[in-house]
Amino acid sequence: MRFLALLLLELSSALHAADVLHLYNWNNYISDATVARFEASCKCKLVQDYYSDNEEMLAKLAAGASGYDLIVPTGNAVESLIKSKQLRPLDKSQLPNLKNIDPAYLDTAFDPGSRYSVPYAYTITLIGYNEQKLRELGIPTDTWAAIFEPKYLKKLKGRVTVLDSQRELMAAALKYLGYSANDTDEAHWRRARDLIIRAKPYWAAFNASSYIKELTVGNIWLAHGYSSDMFQARQDARQAGRPFTIAYSTPKEGAVLALDSMVLHKSGPRPDLAHRFIDFMLEGQNSAELTNLIGSGNPNREAMRYIDPAIAANQAVFPTPDIQRRLEMLKDLDRAQRRVLSRMWTEIKVR
Amino acid sequence: MRRNPLWLWVAALTAYAFLYLPLLIVVLYSFNDSRLNAEWVGFTLHWYSELFNDTGMLAAARNSLLIAVTASLAATVLGTLAGLAIHRYKLRILPVLAVTPVAMPEVLLGVSLLLFFNLVFRPWLGLELGLWSVIVAHITFCIGFVTIVVRVSLLGMDESIFEAARDLGATPWQTFRLVTFPLILPAVMAGALMSFALSLDDFVITFFTAGVGVSTLPLEIYSMIKIAVTPEVNAVSTVLMALTLGMIVLASRIHGKAFKSTGA
Repeated sequence: MRFLALLLLELSSALHAADVLHLYNWNNYISDATVARFEASCKCKLVQDYYSDNEEMLAKLAAGASGYDLIVPTGNAVESLIKSKQLRPLDKSQLPNLKNIDPAYLDTAFDPGSRYSVPYAYTITLIGYNEQKLRELGIPTDTWAAIFEPKYLKKLKGRVTVLDSQRELMAAALKYLGYSANDTDEAHWRRARDLIIRAKPYWAAFNASSYIKELTVGNIWLAHGYSSDMFQARQDARQAGRPFTIAYSTPKEGAVLALDSMVLHKSGPRPDLAHRFIDFMLEGQNSAELTNLIGSGNPNREAMRYIDPAIAANQAVFPTPDIQRRLEMLKDLDRAQRRVLSRMWTEIKVR
Repeated sequence: MRRNPLWLWVAALTAYAFLYLPLLIVVLYSFNDSRLNAEWVGFTLHWYSELFNDTGMLAAARNSLLIAVTASLAATVLGTLAGLAIHRYKLRILPVLAVTPVAMPEVLLGVSLLLFFNLVFRPWLGLELGLWSVIVAHITFCIGFVTIVVRVSLLGMDESIFEAARDLGATPWQTFRLVTFPLILPAVMAGALMSFALSLDDFVITFFTAGVGVSTLPLEIYSMIKIAVTPEVNAVSTVLMALTLGMIVLASRIHGKAFKSTGA
C-alpha cells in the first residue's frame, strides 16, 4: 500500500508541477550553485535528465520522446536535430546576453546564422601526460609526434592510450600530417592510416573511458583525450597526493574542438523558461562556474574574470590565438565516406 | 552422514568466491577515502554522507525501488496466471505470446514500447511518458520470466494430486488455494525475485520508456561513467544490496519453505 501511495504521490506531483524547466544534459555539466541561483531567480524548478552520448540522446528523441525544453548537444548532433526539424528557432530578443559570446563561436558550420543554438562550453581533444615522466624521458609535449613517432614511442611502449574513436584518432593523425581534420581525400586518409598502424604496436590500448584513472594511477604516461577529462585527471592526481602531476597541452599542429550548445526542443512546453535559462547561463559568472567545475573551455568573454586564474592561464583550455586558428570542429561525413573510414578503421584494428 | 570429497568443497568455494568476491570489493571500496578509488587509502563514511545529500541519486534510487517492487508484484500475479493457463489449456499460441518478450532483444522492445506509448497513450488518453510507462514496460518483460518458471514447476507435478483434491470435494478455488498454490509457491517466489532483480538493473528498456524527469539508478550511474565513477556509486550499490538481501531474508522468514526446492 505504501508503494501505491508513493506512486500516486509521484504522479500527482508531476501533474502539479507548474513552473518546471526540463533540461536534457550531460551528467555533471552544470554547477549546483548555478542551478540554485537560477531556481531562485525564476521561482521555478530545474529538472535534469542525463545522457552520456549524443547518439543515445538522438536515438531517444528520434523514437519520439518528448517534453524536454532544452538540450545540450555537441556540434554535429545540433545539425542532425536541425535537419530533422526537431528544434525551435531562438527568439534573440529574449537573449540580451548573447553579446557576451565570442563571435568566433557563433555562425558555425552546423548552425549557419546561429538560428537554433547558443554556445555553452567546449572541449579540445588533446594530449594529457605525466609531467615528470615525460620530462625525464625527454619527450616533447606540444606535438602529436609524441603519440605517432616511433622514436618517442620506443621509450613509452605500453604507456600510451589513444581514443577509441574513428573520427578523433584520424583527425589527430591528419592534423599531424598537416591536413585538415575534416579532410576527406582518400589518399590523405591512407597516409593517416599508415601513420596509425606504424604507431599502434607501441600503444597500450584504444581507450575512451578509463584513461582518466589510468593516468592518475600512473599506469599510463601519455593519453589522447578530452581537455575536461585531463582537468579531472590533474585534480584527482593532486587530491590523491600522487608523486607526479598530470598536465595537458594542445599540440601545435592543431586539434579538434567540440562545441556543446544549448538548443530548444520543439516538444518542450516551456520555451519562455528555456529562454530565461539560456540568457541566465550567458551571464559571465554562471558560465564561469561550469569552467571552474569541470575545466571546460568557455566561449563567453564576460566569463573570463570569474574563472579560476589557474584555469584561465591554461593554454590547453584557452589556447593562444595562434593555436586557436588551428582548431577545427568535426563535420559530418556522408555515407560513402563513413564506409571508407570504417573499412580503414577495421584495417587498423586487425593489424 | 556421508562426507563430501575435497574437490567438491574446492569447486563450491571457488564458485562462491567468483560470485561474491566482486560484490564484497564493491562494498569494501564504498568506504575508501579516495575519489579515484584505485587502491585502498583509508576508511571513511564520506561517500555515504555525500550520497544522502545527493537528491538526484536518492530520487533515482527511490524510483528504481518503486518501479522494481510494483513491476515485480504485478508481473508475478500476471505471470503466475499465464503459467497456470498455459499448463491447463494446451494452446500452442499461449506460450509463444508469453515468452516472446523474453526472447526479444531489449532495444527492440524498448523502442517499440516507446512508439506504442507515443502512438496510443498520448493521443488517446492524454498521458505523457513518466514513471508509469517504465512500470508498464518492466511488467511486460518480467511476465515472461515468471511464466516460464511457474510453468516448469507445474510440469514436474503429479496431476493425480489435483484430481484427489477434487474427489474429496474441493471447489476449483479451494484446490488452487490449498493444493496448487502452495506447491508452486517456490516457483512464484523465484519468479518474483527474478523480476525484481531484472527490473532493478534494466537499462535499455528504461532508457527508452522513461519520461522527462524520471531517472533510475542504472540511468544515473551510466551517465556518470563519462566523468569517472566515484565511490558514491559503490555506496549506493551497497545500500541497494543490503535492501535486496534484507528483502530476501524477510521473505524467507515469512515463508521459509518458499525458498526450498519442491523436491517433487
